[in-house]
Parts: sequence; C-alpha cells; structure tokens
Amino acid sequence: MATTTATVSITSGDLQPGNRLAINASSTLTQTGLTTGLEVMEQGRVKVPASGTEYSLVEPLGTANGANFVYICNMSTDGQYYVEFVIGDAVIGYLQAGDWMWIPWNMSDAAAEIEVQAFNGTNILEYAVFKTDWTLPTAS
Amino acid sequence: MATTTASFSITSNIMSYPISINKSMTMKKLQSCNGLEETSGLRTKKFVNATETVIIEENEYTDTKAHKVYIRNISSDKTNFFYVAFNSGAAAATTTEVIGKLYGGDWMLMPWLGSTDITVASITTEDDQYLEYMVFADGQEN
Repeated sequence: MATTTATVSITSGDLQPGNRLAINASSTLTQTGLTTGLEVMEQGRVKVPASGTEYSLVEPLGTANGANFVYICNMSTDGQYYVEFVIGDAVIGYLQAGDWMWIPWNMSDAAAEIEVQAFNGTNILEYAVFKTDWTLPTAS
Repeated sequence: MATTTASFSITSNIMSYPISINKSMTMKKLQSCNGLEETSGLRTKKFVNATETVIIEENEYTDTKAHKVYIRNISSDKTNFFYVAFNSGAAAATTTEVIGKLYGGDWMLMPWLGSTDITVASITTEDDQYLEYMVFADGQEN
C-alpha cells in the first residue's frame, strides 16, 4: 500500500503582534472512508502563456466524489506574474509567482475541471495530483 | 509589513521511485513585494450536524485580491469528512461548487479571491466534528 504524507508549517512572528503564529499539520492521504492510501498520481511542469485564454490543467477523469488532492506551484520569479486558479467556471484565487497551493479535489464531473489563466507573461507551473483512481481517455 | 511563511512537503511511495516535494512561500499582496498584513486569526468551530455553514464570508474581505485560506479537519477519524465549497449553501456531494472533501486530519491551503463565501458541511450527524481555519487577508472590509 502506498503512503503519501502532506505536511504544512505556517509561521509568522509579526502578523499577530504579541501572538507568534505557528501552525503545523500533517496528514496521510487515504481513499474515501478507508485506511488504504491513494494509489494513483500524475505530475508535470507546464508553461502557461498569457494569451487571455483559460487552459485545462487537470481533467476530472476519475470516479466522482472520491478522495483526491492537488498541488500546484507557480515557479515564475517575476513578482508581476500570476495565474488565476479556476475550477470549472469559478475563479477561486490568484496563484502568484512563488506561491503554492494544496487542496482536496472532488472531481465530481466535467464542471470540476482544474483550469488556469496566466497574466503578465508566460507562467511556469509545477503540479502533482494524488488520486483514488483515474480513467484513461479512450484513444481517438 | 508582516512576514508569513508557509512551508509544504509531501512524500510518497506511490511511484517506483520516491516522490519528495518541498516548497516554501512568503505570503504577499497581489503583485507586490509586501507581505500580507491582516488575518481572521486562527478559529476553531464545532459542528454537531450536517447543516451547510458559511465559515468565511466574502463581504469581510476585499474582492479580487490575493487572500489565502487554511482549513484543517481536526478529527482523527478518516471515515468522517467535510465538504468544502466556494459558494453559500453549496456544500453537498456533487454540486459543481464543491472543491473537495477534507477527511479527519486533512488540511488545505488555497488562494482565494475574496469574492465568494467558503462553505462547509460535515458528513456525519452522529459525531461532533471540528474544523480549524484561518484567512490570511490581502485587505479586509471595514
């Protein structure tokens, strides 16, 4: 059985004056309702041109309503660069140069597609998706 | 200017070779070298039923900014989970607004535009469930 562990540490000495912030969390990723670990993953590195177009980064091609996690990091170094992170038609937030994100992903249907749109230059993204399962698209 | 750092690591043996990702970021305002200066503070909430609940209200934060949201399911039971959604009243199994499910011990850190509520719904009506969450804000409404 595969074991995948995700850990975060968030610290700040001055965000809350007089109250030093130190959040630490770690979780081992499992399939829906089970103690069995996730067994499928994909990862990649892409260039996203700032062309005014939303691009599909990850397609929801697995069992609906399962346990999946998505990591995306904007590897760009220019502080003016950022991407819009989109699920379906909804813009969730901006991932700026140097930012990373980690979210669970429901992969419910086509509307759960993970999309990105770049601004101010070609952004470089690294990503990894840890999944319960994956349905390979039929060859054309 | 405040400095808030978030470090991430993931290790896995899913592949035939070891996977190890380590990244660190300093949370900054949109298109700025200045750090985020405002926060909701770390909050903990108890859920005793499966009613959809808005935990982060968009009208408290400036729209279209580089906010970040941290959420963790404090429970240790992997059979219980929360749906997390980006709309009021949308936390249900397969609505298009659902981001994903946070099982016991799972956490998330995501960018957030500040224009839409963040809603959660516990899956269980039998056990008390707890979430901790925090907004790192790129501007709050007065």
